[in-house]
Amino acid sequence: MMAMLMLRGYVHSEILADYRIRPEAAADKVPQEVLDGGPVVDTRNGQQTSLDVPDHRIVLTFDDGPDPKWTPEVLDVLKKHHAHAVFFITGTMASRYPDLVRRMVDEGHEIGLHTFNHPDLSYQSKKRIDWELTQNQLALAGAAGIRTSLFRPPYSSSTDALDNASWPVTRFVGTRGYLTVFTTADSEDWRRPGVEEIIRNSTPQGGKGAIVLMHDSGGDRHQTVRALDTYLPELQRQGYTFENLTGALAAPSAHTPVTGLDLWKGKAWVFLVEASDDITAVLVVGLAVIGVLVFARFGLMLLLSAIHTRRTRRKGFVWGPDAPVTEPASVLVPAYNEAKCIESTVRSLMKSEHPIEIVVIDDGSSDGTARIVEDLHLPGVRVVRQLNAGKPAALNRGIANARHDLIVMMDGDTVFEPSTVGELVQPFADPKVGAVAGNAKVGNKDTLIGAWQHIEYVMGFNLDRRMYDVLRCMPTIPGAVGAFRRSALDRVGGMSDDTLAEDTDITMAIHRDGWHVVYAEKARAWTEAPESVQQLWSQRYRWCYGTMQAIWKHRRALVESGPSGRFGRVGLPLVSLFMVVAPLLAPLIDLFLVYGLLFGPTGKTIAAWFGVLAVQAGCAAYAFVLDRERLTPLISLPLQQLLYRQLMYIVLLQSWITALTGGRLRWQKLRRKGQVAAPPGAVATADGGAA
Amino acid sequence: MSTHPTDATAELPELPLPRTRTTAPDQQGSERQGSDQQGSDRHGPEQQGQDQRDAEQRGAEPRSAGQKGGGRDRYFDLLRAVALFRVVFYHLMGWAWLPVVFPSMGVMFALAGNLMARSLARRPAPGVVRGRLRRLLPPLWLLGAVGVTGMLAAGWSPDEEGHPGWWWLHLAYWILPLSDPPYGESLPGVHGLISDGWAADMGVPLWYIRAYLWFVLLSPLLLRALRRLPWPTILAPVALSAALEFGALSVPGWRLEAQLSDFGAFGACWLLGMAHQEGVLRRLPRYVVPSLAPAVAGIGLWYTLAHDLKEGHDLDDMPFAQSLWSFAAVLLLLHISPSWSEWPAPLRRWDRLITLLNSRAVTIYLWHNVCIGIVEALWDRLWGVSWLEANAAWVLTSPWPQLPAVWLLTAACVLCFGWVEDLAARRRPRLWPDGRAAAHRA
Repeated sequence: MMAMLMLRGYVHSEILADYRIRPEAAADKVPQEVLDGGPVVDTRNGQQTSLDVPDHRIVLTFDDGPDPKWTPEVLDVLKKHHAHAVFFITGTMASRYPDLVRRMVDEGHEIGLHTFNHPDLSYQSKKRIDWELTQNQLALAGAAGIRTSLFRPPYSSSTDALDNASWPVTRFVGTRGYLTVFTTADSEDWRRPGVEEIIRNSTPQGGKGAIVLMHDSGGDRHQTVRALDTYLPELQRQGYTFENLTGALAAPSAHTPVTGLDLWKGKAWVFLVEASDDITAVLVVGLAVIGVLVFARFGLMLLLSAIHTRRTRRKGFVWGPDAPVTEPASVLVPAYNEAKCIESTVRSLMKSEHPIEIVVIDDGSSDGTARIVEDLHLPGVRVVRQLNAGKPAALNRGIANARHDLIVMMDGDTVFEPSTVGELVQPFADPKVGAVAGNAKVGNKDTLIGAWQHIEYVMGFNLDRRMYDVLRCMPTIPGAVGAFRRSALDRVGGMSDDTLAEDTDITMAIHRDGWHVVYAEKARAWTEAPESVQQLWSQRYRWCYGTMQAIWKHRRALVESGPSGRFGRVGLPLVSLFMVVAPLLAPLIDLFLVYGLLFGPTGKTIAAWFGVLAVQAGCAAYAFVLDRERLTPLISLPLQQLLYRQLMYIVLLQSWITALTGGRLRWQKLRRKGQVAAPPGAVATADGGAA
Repeated sequence: MSTHPTDATAELPELPLPRTRTTAPDQQGSERQGSDQQGSDRHGPEQQGQDQRDAEQRGAEPRSAGQKGGGRDRYFDLLRAVALFRVVFYHLMGWAWLPVVFPSMGVMFALAGNLMARSLARRPAPGVVRGRLRRLLPPLWLLGAVGVTGMLAAGWSPDEEGHPGWWWLHLAYWILPLSDPPYGESLPGVHGLISDGWAADMGVPLWYIRAYLWFVLLSPLLLRALRRLPWPTILAPVALSAALEFGALSVPGWRLEAQLSDFGAFGACWLLGMAHQEGVLRRLPRYVVPSLAPAVAGIGLWYTLAHDLKEGHDLDDMPFAQSLWSFAAVLLLLHISPSWSEWPAPLRRWDRLITLLNSRAVTIYLWHNVCIGIVEALWDRLWGVSWLEANAAWVLTSPWPQLPAVWLLTAACVLCFGWVEDLAARRRPRLWPDGRAAAHRA
């Protein structure tokens, strides 16, 4: 795709374009007979002759085309007056508008080369000149199936303007078998001097022959077209005929048909250029879609999270009739090889201000996790062991062993604040609430990758989750901190191992059962984020793929009635759009960033990028303020946009590939370091320092 | 004994002394092990007996993370060697983008600042400064003895600048380079052996010695400021550079201006080196440097590209861009700093070369530019070989084939003039200090 964009940039003269024009130089090395001679210079086979156009013959020449707007009009006028002309086409334009080149040839005009992308050849190496000619012929062959032996150097005029810099080019091109065609009369139509002036410039004196320079491209050419419409009949009345060059010189045609491999190469080239234009158009639409999506999402998030914040932070706000909730809760801690973290986790729970019982479910750890907990001899802590059966099974076992009806689930690597459980269960004051998502925070945010995830978490919890709360389609209750009503869990059959994201799966199931799922911002839990790219990758891969599985599993909600249908028709599409589809288009942003930087407009591209960054920074800052977080980690936001986001969508892409090819993902466990030992501000109980 | 293994290193900023490496196993000769105490005598006049040494050990407490256990930081050795190689390479090739790829001078100043801070943390400032000057100046004097003699022989005279009195006075800068030592601008060379302008080749790189000297002299002050107000101090030179660039500050006389300009361009690097030693960088959250340094570098790069970066007009001619780019690069390099007390396996084979480059950094720096001039003059003679001109003109026009010749000649200079670095360090002079010889003797 990048290659296609490159190709487009290339034929749109956005790369390799060289706009230098050499100032006039001395002409003492140009043979006098050439300077004084006719406009057609023949330096083939070492000769140096020039040819003149016979009297009463005019060869019209049109440079720089074809142009999609003006070339057809020029062709129409020529056709109307039965005149023929020579078109000196550039390779870039011919590649983009091959139909026009074909039409020129079909209507009896002659084609000449005007290089591929119009540089001043006197600045270029012989290699580059060769390349310009070959590439131009390639485009011509692809468009019209012919080669030509006529050539006109860019920025040329009459032969007496040849100088020491441009003469070697003419000679060199001659050795390659080309006739170089200069002009005798310059219409100067590119200056748009008015129709009369163009006609005056183009009319030779006393019935002499002439080669007239006009342009069918490079700007507004309606004066040229109108001038032609007058000029052609008038001079025809004076006895002039308008022929193509070889016709006027009574020479064999400059065209030779191309066959075989060269023809196919040319056709392939033209096809590729067309395809690149089409693909670029599609990509631009994609970019527009993603732009609208991104901004709509930001707008929606800001609006809804503001509403949510106002609602829940109102004075005297209560969740429901049963407030405050004081009934005890069971905290389930599924643990698999969490030896490094489990003590901090359990000790943080011991400080809970809400009455709880703690159930640690050891899922067949081999590092003595269960033993560590038992050796703590803490009151109210139970350890349940099972053979390794996965997290959903461990949670189900925990639910079976829990004594209370409010069930809090957390990860073995997560640390709660003393008020976390209490805050987490408060929303159950509303009997309609079936589950509550807490506010998971990154404990180890000192490193760059930690800071990036910190930004991501703060935005995800303070903007996304508030939005989903208001829209009543929260997709996920984080495994690190969530609470459930036992009755809700029972009704949906507990945790399931159908997907890799059992937390998303259960949340969707609870939604479909008609429960409300809400976000409790003050229920903070500190979790240890992956510290290496590899671990982050596998974590996100699991989440991403698991979410896709869960969406697929609950797809029937789309057509069901009742609360399930509501979730299916509002929540599922929204979640799919924002979590699975939109990120798929995100690479376009980077693609066009690179394209814009390379081919311009560089300044605008950079400005646009910074604009988007500013919007993002604004949203992030708002989320940080909502969460009362220090803003300093936001300095890593620019780099996050350049490195981290890309990682995320590559992960998403990989998930898509896995989903489409039907692969099955193994559970990948994070390698924990036990860095998050206590919530910030609290004194660490374990030997690891405070996060 | 092993509690102060870095003393000699601290003494010798850019010049590693292989025999004091206590962590590199191949260097641990028994003699060296036992001779650390005697070795202290070589440390010069600023060594003031055992009491002083104990004080140093106490003062050595606040070390940067990498210095635990002492010994040389091989990462810094590597940086220094790469920087030196890049300088020579750049002076031969002249590519404008080379200083962007690796801002050698900033890195060198940062490493020197780091070691300076380390020494100052342990010993009184006057002694440290004196020791540093003693290490720096004799190699310059040797260059001056050869160079100024040559210039006089080529016709340089007190009347050169029109003011013989000033000329004599300025000549003192060859003794103590408080400002750039003078040289004959357009002295003829020896045809086919030394090209014209050789004196400039010799004199131009001396700005580094002058700047270095001033950094050393100011270091006690800088360190105090750094401890009181770390970040304002580190950023002050960049602000100075900006003030000079945008005309907020203008100074009379090119000598003062050159000094201020270099201080602005590289002062932040020197201070970052000191800050690394003082642990200032470690106090930042780890994400700060990788987040901010690319932005600073980006501004520097943008400024460079917007101001016509081309051959003959590169970072060295844009002090403000230089200050930003070098600051950012040094910040990142120090942030990464893995503190190798031993070479990682892939680099082990380069040990001797890097050790040599480090041991003879001053000599190589002072002499390489003259060597390049001589090689270029010799190369021009090859045009006389018509076979070459006809069949392999690239040999004559490309600088690549000259590269080995330049290093060969520089190696000859190391053999001829390198010993003075050992004398300056009060060591037994050695011809080829790549670490191996010392190990053999030991």
